[in-house]
Amino acid sequence: MITVKNLKKSFGELTAVDDVSFSINKGEVFGLLGPNGAGKTTTINIIVGLLKPDSGLVEIDGNSDPTKSSVRTRIGNAPQTLALYDMLSGRENLEFFGKLYGLSGSKLKERVDWALDFGRLTDRQKDRVGTYSGGMKRRLNMAGAVIHDPPVILFDEPTVGVDPQSRNMIFDSIEDLKAQGRTIVYTTHYMEEAERLCDEVAIIDHGKILDLGTVRDLTKQYGGPALIEAEYESLPDDISGLPGEFEGNTVRIETEKPMEDLAKLTRNGHTLRQLRIDQPDLETVFLNITGRSLRD
Amino acid sequence: MGKIITLALKDLKVLSRDKGSVFWVLFFPLLVALFFGSIFSGGGGGPSGMKIAVVDTDSTDYSIAFAEELSGLSSLQVSRIPADSAIDKVRRGKLSAVVTIKKGFGQTLGMFTDSAMIEIGVDPSRKMTVGYLQGLLTQSHFRLLQKRYADPESWRMGMDSLLADTSFWEKAPPGTEEIGRSIIGSFKELSHYISTSGETGTSDTTSDSAGTTAEAKKEDGFNLFPMKMTTITNDEAGPRSSFEITFPSSMLWALIGIASAFAVSIVKERTAGTFLRLRLAPISRMQILAGKGLACFLSSLVVTIILLLFGNLVFGVRIGNPVILLIAVIATSYCFVGISMLVSTIGKTEESVGGASWGILLVSAMTGGGMIPLMFMPGWLVTISHFSPVKWGILAIEGGVWRNFTFSDMLMPLGMLIGIGTLTFAIGATILSRRDS
Repeated sequence: MITVKNLKKSFGELTAVDDVSFSINKGEVFGLLGPNGAGKTTTINIIVGLLKPDSGLVEIDGNSDPTKSSVRTRIGNAPQTLALYDMLSGRENLEFFGKLYGLSGSKLKERVDWALDFGRLTDRQKDRVGTYSGGMKRRLNMAGAVIHDPPVILFDEPTVGVDPQSRNMIFDSIEDLKAQGRTIVYTTHYMEEAERLCDEVAIIDHGKILDLGTVRDLTKQYGGPALIEAEYESLPDDISGLPGEFEGNTVRIETEKPMEDLAKLTRNGHTLRQLRIDQPDLETVFLNITGRSLRD
Repeated sequence: MGKIITLALKDLKVLSRDKGSVFWVLFFPLLVALFFGSIFSGGGGGPSGMKIAVVDTDSTDYSIAFAEELSGLSSLQVSRIPADSAIDKVRRGKLSAVVTIKKGFGQTLGMFTDSAMIEIGVDPSRKMTVGYLQGLLTQSHFRLLQKRYADPESWRMGMDSLLADTSFWEKAPPGTEEIGRSIIGSFKELSHYISTSGETGTSDTTSDSAGTTAEAKKEDGFNLFPMKMTTITNDEAGPRSSFEITFPSSMLWALIGIASAFAVSIVKERTAGTFLRLRLAPISRMQILAGKGLACFLSSLVVTIILLLFGNLVFGVRIGNPVILLIAVIATSYCFVGISMLVSTIGKTEESVGGASWGILLVSAMTGGGMIPLMFMPGWLVTISHFSPVKWGILAIEGGVWRNFTFSDMLMPLGMLIGIGTLTFAIGATILSRRDS
């Protein structure tokens, strides 16, 4: 559905996108995971035709010119900046965006109603956007991207600065779109979002894709062992057969098979007062690949 | 075209909901027109008072007293000049009105007459002042009546005059003349008795009584003190009133406000990110700019027409040649669309564009006669004014209001307006397009 080959883009001395390549199948949610300034938004802007790459190729459904009207109607983009008119109501914003994509009459009304429902904004549709909360504006921003029913949708950091309730609504909305078979590109620097939503993730930093794959594959490859930290009610008489390193009543285990080792700790009826298991995640993956945290 | 209209309607909706923009675009120009129009009209109230002429064709004691009563009012500046001169001054806007005291005023006291003994000649552009002037005339007349009938000698003179008026008694029903003369004679004797016995009523008491009567009569709908209105119009070229100068200027102020508002809105689209979404939609850059231009043009057209109609209906600003005027308004609006596009490229933030646009357009207004009419400017500034679109806009609009321009007269200002508009639009659109690349 989307193919990106050897994409390069520089702004003066700064190389924003450096030989980026990936492909996304129809109905897949593809995550671009990286810290701020990693090149995610530049990559998105090249895909949708807002920026011309210095070199490389972008194909959407086999078409290499995203600025063509026929291609643009197949793409929806929710930019990171809230692209809304504060003086208009939520409904008026959506009607305006819908008309720009050629919608009119009953079709327009139907799509606006759908988009308002998608953004969970039906009850505030007549209020001016200037009175909306940050989360509501984010949801309307997303609704504006899907008003024309595009098969390809790009969400650029859609949860920046939103409250937990709105974040969950956004996740639900994206999962709805995924269930409808849309192809989605999702940029974020939040691990949990990529883990929850994305079928495949590309780790990007300094304009380069460091690796890509499923969350499971990446954590398996770069995540390292899980960490178990357990505290016994009372120390077992014989700890020689138990895994890990003891310090008082507490044992710490780095393991590839956390469930097996946990079973060993409690095998002889010993009870644990506290238990913590840290599974490797994309944060760890990013740390292990780049040597720094995502939020650095 | 449908998408351009969609873009334009969106911009008009956004503009109409922005109270700040509406103030600068509509109310500020109106205030400018009213303020300067009132200052230069000589018809405003305040310390200097309304300038009128009083022409006394009756020349009786009572008419002279009435004219003096008017002169004593602080709210009027009264000139005693011949009728021709007075009418000419009203025509030229030097005076607000001419009050003519007709023959017979002193005899009838101007009351209960079939024909009005007071005639107010007024410029139609001063319609608003007529009611005020009528009130002052009525007030002065009743004050004079109070003074007159607080004095028994005045009573006797009035009754002597009536007894001697043969034309009055000729109209009396048969058989009533003798009774009438007898009654008036008795009143005359009574007033003589009062004056010689020193039992004159106090001025205040009489005043209260007369005042109350006057009010009652007015409420009952009697035309106690009829006045006739005449219109003094000016058929010659030239502004009939200061409002014919200030309203064209105010239209240009409105266009300056609109140009600035749209220049800022173009930048705001960028800073708010909405321009990004517009570019993602299946529309071209030229369609986006055309949408902005159309919105700017339509709002310019609507606001200038509102101002023009307001000036026409309230202050009598003429619509001398509606076709010429419409062409002038369209050309001027077009010119400011281009200027708006160019001004929007000056900066990259709303603040910088907003500030710079007002700065540039203010200078343009100052040099183009938007603040002070060009006729009051030194020669070198008049030469500079040729470069100001404000000058050509005012000239074109005045051409349709009072300059009686023909189509050939309009060629120069229209050419300049369209030329400036096209050039600035092209430069602005080119810079904006390059910026997006």
